[in-house]
Amino acid sequence: MARMKFLCDTERCIECNGCVTACKNEHEVPWGIQRRRVVTINDGVVGQEKSMSVACMHCSDAPCMAVCPVDVFYRTEDGVVLHDKDACIGCGYCFYACPFGAPQFPQTGTFGQRGKMDKCTFCAGGPEADGSDAEFEKYGKNRLAEGKLPMCAEMCSTKALLGGDGTALADIFRERVVRRGGSGAEMIGWNTAYGSGEQKRQQTRGGDK
Amino acid sequence: MCAHLIVTLRAVLLAAALGLGWMAAPAVAAPPDNNADVYRAVREGTAQSITFTAPADRMLIQSEGQTWRQWRNGPITQIGGWMLAGVFVALVLFRLVRGKIMLEGPPTGRLIQRFSTVERMTHWTVALSFVLLAITGLTLLFGKHVVIPLIGYSAFSWIAALGKNVHNFVGPLFFASTLVMVALFARDNVWQAIDALWIRKAGGLLSGEHVPSWRFNFGEKTWFWIGVVILGLLVGITGLVLDFPGNGQIRQDMQLAHIIHTSGALIFIALSLGHIYIGSVGMEGSLESMKTGYVDETWAREHHEYWYREAKGGSGAAPVAPGSARPSTAH
Repeated sequence: MARMKFLCDTERCIECNGCVTACKNEHEVPWGIQRRRVVTINDGVVGQEKSMSVACMHCSDAPCMAVCPVDVFYRTEDGVVLHDKDACIGCGYCFYACPFGAPQFPQTGTFGQRGKMDKCTFCAGGPEADGSDAEFEKYGKNRLAEGKLPMCAEMCSTKALLGGDGTALADIFRERVVRRGGSGAEMIGWNTAYGSGEQKRQQTRGGDK
Repeated sequence: MCAHLIVTLRAVLLAAALGLGWMAAPAVAAPPDNNADVYRAVREGTAQSITFTAPADRMLIQSEGQTWRQWRNGPITQIGGWMLAGVFVALVLFRLVRGKIMLEGPPTGRLIQRFSTVERMTHWTVALSFVLLAITGLTLLFGKHVVIPLIGYSAFSWIAALGKNVHNFVGPLFFASTLVMVALFARDNVWQAIDALWIRKAGGLLSGEHVPSWRFNFGEKTWFWIGVVILGLLVGITGLVLDFPGNGQIRQDMQLAHIIHTSGALIFIALSLGHIYIGSVGMEGSLESMKTGYVDETWAREHHEYWYREAKGGSGAAPVAPGSARPSTAH
């Protein structure tokens, strides 16, 4: 079975925010919520500026899943971390725990009123029937069910952002590293999201027990 | 888990120490196409440039979340859970050993006012909000492990959503009423010389001796200062930090506030079990005093000798021989 991952090649990302726009458009993400964002490091420093697109990384040992008090998170067979908005109570714990700042909330939170958490679904929808209106309303398109990969990566003009089976991504990236003589350290966030080396702690629903 | 935690804490301290070094050191020219420096900069968790404006979005990777997760899912859930269970068992044992603490003498039928109406209303506002907050808070911490297996995930989600809202709206009421309570009761909870006797006799809790005291004995004072004042204000203030985001606090502030809030609340709840027990089913006449505001003279004399004498117009401590735990039959 494929293990879906995201990879952003910082040697290629040009901070065009095309991925952000593609995501917002594809899923009709509500105003004020960004499921994906582009962060620039060393902005303006010649030769050292690097940009990177980041969203939910669908971690192997997902912190959101571990801290959720109502257990709304689950992992698909493809390793995608999804959540059930119907059960979400909007406590914000996933936002505290997430290393990537992926969980977003539609409300500002006075008296803890945040609304239902929203985040990147790897274009894999939610618990509702694949491609249903209810699924689209809450989570956006389910492209994976249609055999397509995430819209952000598909729309990336420089192919900096890749989304798909981790093995395939690693192969593509390895080839790039070989060609340009990099060190491989550009796989920013992979250790955080997928563990160092081949460590694969697969989580079942429920997180830390 | 524990070893993991220690490793993480060590890493955090190391990173903090090294972080200072990095800031001071001049930028080292990295070999071309080696992004190790960039990755290191990312892990420092500093704010980067971004086209959006949300402050949290500027941090690419926040490592503190992992520390928060380990505290919350580790010691807070585990030690906290066992602590509450331990206190509950201790109270059951106390009940078995000591039984209900009854009045020794017959009630006189003459009543003395112990609490004013304002004091009672404040107490019950704090008490009711405390119980609601404790139940809903414990639901959020332990429900996943204890309640979901019993009633299932969907039903629990409904309870948790209700619980979260009750918690978030009742919280400020608890904080405000606690402030009033501190103001009302602080004066009579100040240390008095006779409290030393209470400590020496351990309150007579096990021996059954009646240790004289003024309006509040040392046990009540401990609950007041450690429970109501310190824990109440600590949990209340951190609760406000969590309840009203968007006032300048960032994720790391919320994580810290949450750890203090939850740890403090668990200790608060553990202590409260003792207070609730002795104030309700554990002692004859104690619930009536807060319900009606009045106690029988026998109760006052047996539990708060000095206060009783003062209330009767005497000088309080005078008739009791120094060091004597049990006052004679003086009326």
